[in-house]
Amino acid sequence: MSVKGFGGGLARPGFRTLTTGLLLAAALWALYALDSQIQVFSFGDAGPDARSFPRLVLWLLAAVVALRLVLSLRREDDAFRLRPLGRVLAVVAVTILALWLMPSVGFFAGAAGAGIVVSLVLGERNPLMLGLPLVVAAIVAFGGQHGLNIPLP
Amino acid sequence: MLVDAFLELLNLWVLVAAVVGIASGVIIGAIPGLGPTMAIALLIPVTFSMDSIPAIILLLGVYQGAIFGGSISAVLLNVPGTPSSAATAIDGFAMARRGEGGRALRFALYASVAGNIFSCLVLMALAEPLARFALDFGPAEMALLMLFALLVIVLFGGGSKLDALIMVLVGACAGVVGLDPISGTPRFTFGSFAFDNGFQLIPVLIGLFAMSEVLLQAFDRDHDVSDAEVPPLKASVVRFVELWRMRITLLLSSVIGTFVGILPGIGSTVPAFMSYNLARSRSAAPESFGKGAPEGVAAPEAANNAVTGGALVPTLALGIPGDAVTAVILGAFMLHGLAPGPFLFRDHGLEVYAIFEALLLSSIPTVILGLLFFRVAIHVTRIQPRHLLPAITILAVFGAFSVNNSLFDVWVMLGAGVLGFLFRRSSFPLPPLLIGLILGAPFEQSLRQALLTSGGGYDIFFGSPITIGLAGLIALSLAISLALNLRKARA
Repeated sequence: MSVKGFGGGLARPGFRTLTTGLLLAAALWALYALDSQIQVFSFGDAGPDARSFPRLVLWLLAAVVALRLVLSLRREDDAFRLRPLGRVLAVVAVTILALWLMPSVGFFAGAAGAGIVVSLVLGERNPLMLGLPLVVAAIVAFGGQHGLNIPLP
Repeated sequence: MLVDAFLELLNLWVLVAAVVGIASGVIIGAIPGLGPTMAIALLIPVTFSMDSIPAIILLLGVYQGAIFGGSISAVLLNVPGTPSSAATAIDGFAMARRGEGGRALRFALYASVAGNIFSCLVLMALAEPLARFALDFGPAEMALLMLFALLVIVLFGGGSKLDALIMVLVGACAGVVGLDPISGTPRFTFGSFAFDNGFQLIPVLIGLFAMSEVLLQAFDRDHDVSDAEVPPLKASVVRFVELWRMRITLLLSSVIGTFVGILPGIGSTVPAFMSYNLARSRSAAPESFGKGAPEGVAAPEAANNAVTGGALVPTLALGIPGDAVTAVILGAFMLHGLAPGPFLFRDHGLEVYAIFEALLLSSIPTVILGLLFFRVAIHVTRIQPRHLLPAITILAVFGAFSVNNSLFDVWVMLGAGVLGFLFRRSSFPLPPLLIGLILGAPFEQSLRQALLTSGGGYDIFFGSPITIGLAGLIALSLAISLALNLRKARA
């Protein structure tokens, strides 16, 4: 994936700036929450405890990501485009909905529904071809449950 | 002994067991989420009434077949069937996209066979002494070995070292989630039991490679609804001279796979990526890697198949399984009265060498079955993305669920998919993230075990010839990388 487009700098941030910024925020939050998320019971052992390695790795991550962010601001970035991003969000949203509903509607209905929406998002308009995810979901559900004994929802 | 063992193989049931095992392994391995462990576990009951030699040959055939089968979906769909085939997907899928899927699969097949033959020869010749050497690896040695593996990925992985370091650290941070490996304290579990086991590798892998591909295609789709241009299928022929040109790559990858496979707990993913990076750093055209370089397919395949023989060394000679797959195989050996350990070779030498020879000879049915399977499988690349990607979405959900029969893993897969989409759009490399995730937790465990043993003293990392050798290798890698950077800067 080449990094190109019309984004770049703080004024027009692109994917790289966004991803790096998210990583930096996540690393700083994890450092802030470290003590509350990891309890340490000291028995007088020498050497590092349960917090030492995560703290080291998170500080390192925050430092190198901050450096990358500074360096990235000078580079051209892969710009956001709203319509394509909308399609990505639609696929993510429908997968979340399918997973949310899966315990009640079952694997077949959830997976087939998600597959059909992905087909539509990718440009499929032929009603016959929209049935393809139904067939795939049926084969996977039947094979998984009866061939491999996997207790699908 | 070797001749007697060979005579034991002249039995129709042995041939049937090898063919059935390999065919089942290839098919199960090609389904995302169903790795060799599940394939062997599914077929163990079939072997209950069989003699020991055909039974073990069937299960080892499944092991070999599943490792190779993982590369089929990796090459054709960019969905690694097994974690170790993630490295194969990088160049294999790129080749498939330009109509060379058949060639990519053939390179994968021949490299797999080369790796398998090498590791079987090593297994036959050196099983006992190598197993004794592997026993000398304590926590300090393992910590340095893993640090070396992480450094190799960052320094020689190609592309930006800073980006690779970020991805390794992201993987290591993800590996922190779950129970602390020493004290059992929950870390970043948010009070949920589902997080206690941490992030499982297969759902993360499926998300990073398969789900992110669906999201990328949704992002990149053109506005009109016309058919996407599918490249015509090119001839799948791989000439011997092409393989001969990559003989050193195949040999080095097989050596890495075999010897890393001997060490417990590392598995086949790390040697696959190490071999990939080594092949790229040695290549005259490193820029072609990631864009469909045949060597980028052959190197990881030779390495991950060589692991099968290497992993059997400590399993059979010492009764110490290196990973989940060999633990299941160890159980199968015991089930058939072949108790692994130092006395195995003395008490059941004939059976063991017959099994080794069968493993070596199974390359022949692997090639025949592989070539037959490709004729059908290759047409997957002709399917329009808008027909294929919904099926990939369904398979991704199924593959993530089937690991632990848990919807939590499917949520993890989706999260990894979104992250994978962001990382790929931002040109961050994914392999270092995987290696960081795989090695982060065991590295921390070995490091802390070593420091607990030494009472907090760092001299333990220079206390044995092996640690000194590994520390020297780390220093040498840093020096070489620095020298290469300086030379590039001057040029």
